[in-house]
Amino acid sequence: MQKKNGTAIVLVLAFLVCSSFALMSCSSSPDEAQMKQLNDLKSEVTSLQNDAAAKEQQLGNLQKEVADKNAKLKKCADDQAIVKQRLAK
Amino acid sequence: MKVKTLYFVPAALLVFAVGLATAQEMTKDQWQQEITKYTSMLDSLRARVKTLDADITSMGTKSSQLDADYEKCMNELYALVGSDAAKAAAYRSDIESAENKANELSRLSDADLVERSGEVDDLAAKVKSLWDNKLSLIPEFWDRLTALNEKVKGLQATLANQVKMYTVGTWARNRDCLWNIAKKKDIYSNAWLWPKIWQGNRDQIKDPDVIHTGQKLKIPKGSELNAEEKSAAKKYYARKAGK
Repeated sequence: MQKKNGTAIVLVLAFLVCSSFALMSCSSSPDEAQMKQLNDLKSEVTSLQNDAAAKEQQLGNLQKEVADKNAKLKKCADDQAIVKQRLAK
Repeated sequence: MKVKTLYFVPAALLVFAVGLATAQEMTKDQWQQEITKYTSMLDSLRARVKTLDADITSMGTKSSQLDADYEKCMNELYALVGSDAAKAAAYRSDIESAENKANELSRLSDADLVERSGEVDDLAAKVKSLWDNKLSLIPEFWDRLTALNEKVKGLQATLANQVKMYTVGTWARNRDCLWNIAKKKDIYSNAWLWPKIWQGNRDQIKDPDVIHTGQKLKIPKGSELNAEEKSAAKKYYARKAGK
């Protein structure tokens, strides 16, 4: 009985060791230079995303500024019409 | 057998764990997929930033053009009334001064306002002169002057409802007697109305020929003598004639 238990244990352990080696040999990873390339690419994307967000904000502010100036210009034109009416009286 | 198993078990487990960990690192295929994905994102972002730069430049140009258009429009507006930007700025400043004065006078108590009634008259004259300027036709100034007008009217109404007071000065300096007081521009501008002051202050003035420095006299409203005042004046002149 003791001999049978010992054999079972050895077989399980042997299986574990063999499967480990099998897992290691099936996967090949990118090297250090390639990982650096990927990380640099990710950094550049993040940087551009921030840049784009800032420019969106800047554009939004400019659009509002232009809208306000258009309103002021329209009021000036309306004022001219009012003054002409008052002068005509 | 037991001793060998004792050493072999942890060793085998360790090797299995390392194998498992190694299997979880990025594979070359996964790396390639990531490279492709981020490269595509980079291209899209570059195109977006380029578009944004162009839009920003265009908006900036538009904004500058609007500044120029607005200045031109305002100069044309001032020219309609024979003026210019510099004169309009000075006029704006004058209106602001008048508004500040109106606000200051509005905060006074009624008694203090009566004391400073001359300033209300000056303010009313100033507002009139501002209206006489053609710049008043411009809506910005028209609206402000209209509001100022209302404030001045309010101040004048408050004054009209108040009993005016006059503090008697000295004969040597002010030549203050009822006749001269009634003659003053800010009292009645009419010396013959002196009996109004006398009758309005019978508690203080027994003899209209005798008033004292420092006396605070009420100046009743009105531009004519009422019946009672006429009667008192008649009696006074009769008494004088009798002497």
